[in-house]
Amino acid sequence: MINKSYIIVFLLCLFFLSCGLEPEPIKYGKDLCSHCNMKIMDKRYGAELVTAKGKIHKFDSPECLIDYIHQNSLPASDIAATLVTGFNEPDKLINTSEAAFIISPKLPSPMGAFLTAFTNTNEAKKKMEEVGGELFDWNSVKTKIINR
Amino acid sequence: MKISRLIFFLPIFIFFNFSNLVSRDILVGSNREYKDIKSAIENSVNGDRIIIDDGIYQTNGIIIDKEITVSGLNSAIIDAQNISEAITIKSSNVTIQGITIKNIPVGFMKDYAGIRIENSKKVTIKQCRFVNNFFAVYLSNSDSSNVISNVITGNASSESFSGNGIHLWKCNTINIDNNYISGHRDGIYLEFAINSVITGNYSEKNLRYGLHFMFSEGNSYRKNIFRGNGAGVAVMYTKRVEMTENIFEDNWGPSSYGLLLKDISKSRIYNNMFRKNTTGIYSEGTTYTIIENNIFSSNGWAIKILGNCNYDTIINNDFLSNTFDISTNSHLNDNYYDSNFWDRYNGYDLDRNLIGDVPYRPTSLFSTLVVKSPEAILLVRSFLVELFDLTEKIMPSVIPESLTDNHPSMVMKNKKDYIQYD
Repeated sequence: MINKSYIIVFLLCLFFLSCGLEPEPIKYGKDLCSHCNMKIMDKRYGAELVTAKGKIHKFDSPECLIDYIHQNSLPASDIAATLVTGFNEPDKLINTSEAAFIISPKLPSPMGAFLTAFTNTNEAKKKMEEVGGELFDWNSVKTKIINR
Repeated sequence: MKISRLIFFLPIFIFFNFSNLVSRDILVGSNREYKDIKSAIENSVNGDRIIIDDGIYQTNGIIIDKEITVSGLNSAIIDAQNISEAITIKSSNVTIQGITIKNIPVGFMKDYAGIRIENSKKVTIKQCRFVNNFFAVYLSNSDSSNVISNVITGNASSESFSGNGIHLWKCNTINIDNNYISGHRDGIYLEFAINSVITGNYSEKNLRYGLHFMFSEGNSYRKNIFRGNGAGVAVMYTKRVEMTENIFEDNWGPSSYGLLLKDISKSRIYNNMFRKNTTGIYSEGTTYTIIENNIFSSNGWAIKILGNCNYDTIINNDFLSNTFDISTNSHLNDNYYDSNFWDRYNGYDLDRNLIGDVPYRPTSLFSTLVVKSPEAILLVRSFLVELFDLTEKIMPSVIPESLTDNHPSMVMKNKKDYIQYD
């Protein structure tokens, strides 16, 4: 009898575990941007938001992600994760806190903010040798984009 | 004194004028003076005309930095073999005519294009054919140019990385006339482009949009056909766009629209045909825009207009056989509807002035519900829904009370005569 209830509890645990706050890969050419409603096409500029309740919003650019959070006034407690794809490694979503961002007039981005994400600061600096611009981390780029 | 000075300068004038007038024809071909295009361009001067014989030229990275004309005889084909860009134009007054450009590679860090036009004025690309290219024609920072009568076919599939057919970036006064574009990401894409005119193009089966405006002011498009694209046309973050006499057709899918309006203002949508789209017009954040004399026929939703649209005018349109005519997510209405023809109108016209005597409410309770929870569409045309809608018509509580057409027309307002493409 006791054994049975243990098993049930264990199974319930498993069930809840499976509802984790996992990001989901973006289906390019199919998914829509939650902010601007456009189809997400460019792998180099994908972005994603996982809310605390586990709802996933996908975006066609980091600027749409930032504008979405700002315009819907999402409190930080509602956000489980924010992710972007790096320009240098477009098939992988990485956490925005790990990413480096550049804003350069020579590197247009999908929604007109000239904002591009890279997987790390070194990759960003490498691209800056070619296109110039300004280097940001996630927190500073948020204020920059909101006040643009 | 003056006359003698004139006579002195006369020969100089004549000499310079003639040297400009004498333009040479430079021939390129397997048994011509020049065997390849690059060397012909190197040996040309301003005003020359380079004529290319039939044949396949496997080359890439051609740079045109002189004021010349390059034209193909019948089937001159430049095959870039998926290595790099075919032609880059860096000079003004260049014409490229009658050439086929194919196999431009998909770039991961770079937007490779069939013909790239950079920082130039008065460039014309006409009667060219673009096959299997990443981007076909790419204009950046250029003015007063023409892209006319080209056939552009890409082979973008939903999985692959895809580029645009005609791409404008920071351009001014560009004419895009009479082109056929299919199989690209966006057929025609304008970003930071102003004063451009897009006429008579046929854009179909592109992955995303037939035509796409971003941050582009004061442009107009007319007499184009957008058929079977991911969505017909998207006009976003833009002011003063004229949209007249276009056909938006067969844009089907859960996220497909004939025309997507997002944050636009002071625009005019006049005399267009919206037929067989999931949503004819999807409008978000649209202000001071006039939607006039259009036909909405056989769409799922004729117009979806969200609560943040203000001061828009919707008059003299025909609404025929749409599942929903107008739907909105708000119970307020700041837009003006008048004198439209609604095929669902069942009022009467006792004074025979062709204007219905009772106002018409184009939204229904059910259409509002569907905007909020799309799954409810399963219940469309069920008895219960009809009952709901009837109750709501008598006592509006959810649908915006001011969303009425006070002078619904008893007859159609527009002729379908400009649809000559059936």
